[in-house]
Amino acid sequence: MDHFPTNWGRPRNDAADPYGTYPIHQRPATKDTFAEGVQRTQQPIVTGTSVLAIQYKDGIMMAADNLASYGSLARFKDIQRLHKVGTSTVIGASGDMSDFQAIQTLLDEVVTDEFTHGDGHDLGPAEVHEYLSRVMYSRRSKINPLWNSILVGGFRDGKRFLAYVDLLGTTYSAPSIATGYGAYIAIPLLRAAVDGRVDELTEENARALLHDCMRVLFYRDARSLDKYQIATVNASGVHISDQIHLDTSWSFAEGIRGYGAQTQ
Amino acid sequence: MTSIGTGYDLSASTYSPDGRIFQVEYANKAVENSGTAIGLRVKDGVVLAVEKLIHSKLLVPEANRRIQTIDKHIGLASAGYLADGRHVSNRARDEASSFRENYRAPATLQYVVDRVGLYVQAYTLYSSVRPFGCSTIIGGVDKHGPALFVIEPSGVSYGYRGAAVGKGRQLAKTELEKLKFSELTMKEAVTEAARIIYLVHDDAKEKDFELEMSWVGDETNGIHQAVPKDLLDEASRKAKEALETFE
Amino acid sequence: MPDGSFAHPQQRQFNPYTDNGGTILAIAGADFTVIAGDTRQSEGYSIQTRYAPKVFRLTDRAVLAVNGFAADGNMFVKKVKQRLEWYRHAHAKDMPLHAIARLIQTMLYAQRFFPYYVYNILGGIEEDGSGAVYSFDPVGSYEREACRAAGAAQSLVQPFLDNQIYFKNQKAAAGQSHPAHLPLSDVLAIVIDSFTSATERHIEVGDGLEIYVVVAKGRSPQGLETMRNVQELSTRPDGDRMFILRRELKKD
Repeated sequence: MDHFPTNWGRPRNDAADPYGTYPIHQRPATKDTFAEGVQRTQQPIVTGTSVLAIQYKDGIMMAADNLASYGSLARFKDIQRLHKVGTSTVIGASGDMSDFQAIQTLLDEVVTDEFTHGDGHDLGPAEVHEYLSRVMYSRRSKINPLWNSILVGGFRDGKRFLAYVDLLGTTYSAPSIATGYGAYIAIPLLRAAVDGRVDELTEENARALLHDCMRVLFYRDARSLDKYQIATVNASGVHISDQIHLDTSWSFAEGIRGYGAQTQ
Repeated sequence: MTSIGTGYDLSASTYSPDGRIFQVEYANKAVENSGTAIGLRVKDGVVLAVEKLIHSKLLVPEANRRIQTIDKHIGLASAGYLADGRHVSNRARDEASSFRENYRAPATLQYVVDRVGLYVQAYTLYSSVRPFGCSTIIGGVDKHGPALFVIEPSGVSYGYRGAAVGKGRQLAKTELEKLKFSELTMKEAVTEAARIIYLVHDDAKEKDFELEMSWVGDETNGIHQAVPKDLLDEASRKAKEALETFE
Repeated sequence: MPDGSFAHPQQRQFNPYTDNGGTILAIAGADFTVIAGDTRQSEGYSIQTRYAPKVFRLTDRAVLAVNGFAADGNMFVKKVKQRLEWYRHAHAKDMPLHAIARLIQTMLYAQRFFPYYVYNILGGIEEDGSGAVYSFDPVGSYEREACRAAGAAQSLVQPFLDNQIYFKNQKAAAGQSHPAHLPLSDVLAIVIDSFTSATERHIEVGDGLEIYVVVAKGRSPQGLETMRNVQELSTRPDGDRMFILRRELKKD
């Protein structure tokens, strides 16, 4: 037993002065001998960028591009970041793509288990989101997080559902949500168009709005791609679109000094 | 039963002098006392049907199902002790799920049947356990197409075009043999399955019964589901009609 | 290393906490308690949502406000509610307020070495019918008080409350003393003013305001029922009464 309260809670350290022979202010700064050992903190490796989602008249709509980056390298350009869960839910993920794949496998297993029980009950978007937040929060509490920000959207019993969960287990719900750079670049555009107008927003409006935001993001986010997909969930179920191409115009760059090809 | 009193039937780990394991044969007797279960493998899917005997009017209709779902694409019907059947189906579910976990793909029927067969067989080896008192019909659709198997209490498993276990299996097999499985559609198979279950049900000896049917194949997008109520009622109606004109 | 070498392993620590902003506040009257919180949830300079409740009804006479790291807060409220449900199943009655306060201390201290990064304020009616506020630090130190503000705008609101509720730096008129308790209408005005002011000066406060009012059994709600945007949550007409009052706050 160490009877010196000033030593309590400090890491074990053979170099430290175990008997407190020096006054506190004269003791050498303790060095944590384990600082270079036991590292399970990870960092994201192959990453996906923003996911955007909004509520609209008939349900919810979500968009994510098809890029998985390796640092600044555009490594995989045909990756799907939207995933259907059960019959009335879709999830979209930014952050580490291997963690996201683990989450997909996990959710698929839960959905299959629920199906094989054969009691006619299946998981809706609220249940999927609750489950996911428990998983994310428990992993962060083990200091071994799943490095993602995930949007969960769905439509069930005539009700829209749209919510967020991230690597810390933080959750919230809103009429429009975006992860990553989308939270800075797309959210102002989305809030202006969606807030207070959810019940008027048609599917065409919603689609056009997300298309515009994806284009703005492609112009400004260096980790984005001009190829993306849209998921819609409404009374007719979950539908994930084919790949959509963004047309962009870079001609404005010609006239800007320092942006284009000029050397002077 | 010549086996009784010989002392060779007290344990699954004991052979009789002529090379039989009586405990396994007794397990088969348990299956023979059960309501009939049949399976049909046709060109675009599999249909399972069970004659569920109702031993009490107090039972809730459609309770105590004898057809279960193993995975999205696999169904299982059991004959014999229902509780044993449920245990086997639980094992089958675990096998199917662990296959998904390991290979990120739906299990083939052959894989699940082999694994469950191995498990059932292990219960014929030890004096401390009792072999399963149930035969299970496992049907589904995998990457090779529709498939249908039966696992017996001995652990042996065979693939079939048409399978029947339980009380009325002899008559059911005779009827199944008349069918052209490679030409039948799932919808036609539903009608045939209902007809056979109604036919083999012995009105004179047995109590009431409930027809339980499921299917998996093109009609259901490869998902194992209960046959829809309207289709089931229609098949039952036709079955009763056919019964009056039979023979 | 500054020289870019990897002579020593690099360490990038995962930080399991964040601050989601917002402010909560509770004031006890003689026979009522007011517990309030804004509904903005933010991270950094971003507003995540304009409606994420921070104030929760626990029993017919207890309300808990939670502020700090939202994920911890939601989990903590979930666990407190679960413990209160178990108590109901075991004892066929609701847990008294002072017992909930001690329960919260125990639950917070149980996480002493990986704390819930959450400031709690518990408000409600005590068994003797008096209004009560309990405030907690993240590891469970707590005390009963007449009023408390916590969260992002604590430093803006608490001094105002000290002045208006405790009459700090105020002199009573000659021959008179300060009242021990204020009437409900005064308290509500102070609460609303506190939040509108905090909204003006603090970027993490705003969007919406939810004010819970618990009034002791048999006491008058002092005209509260007739105010706009009031909803009564009482489960029994003859017990303590609970109301929720909603107000908009500026969204900028």
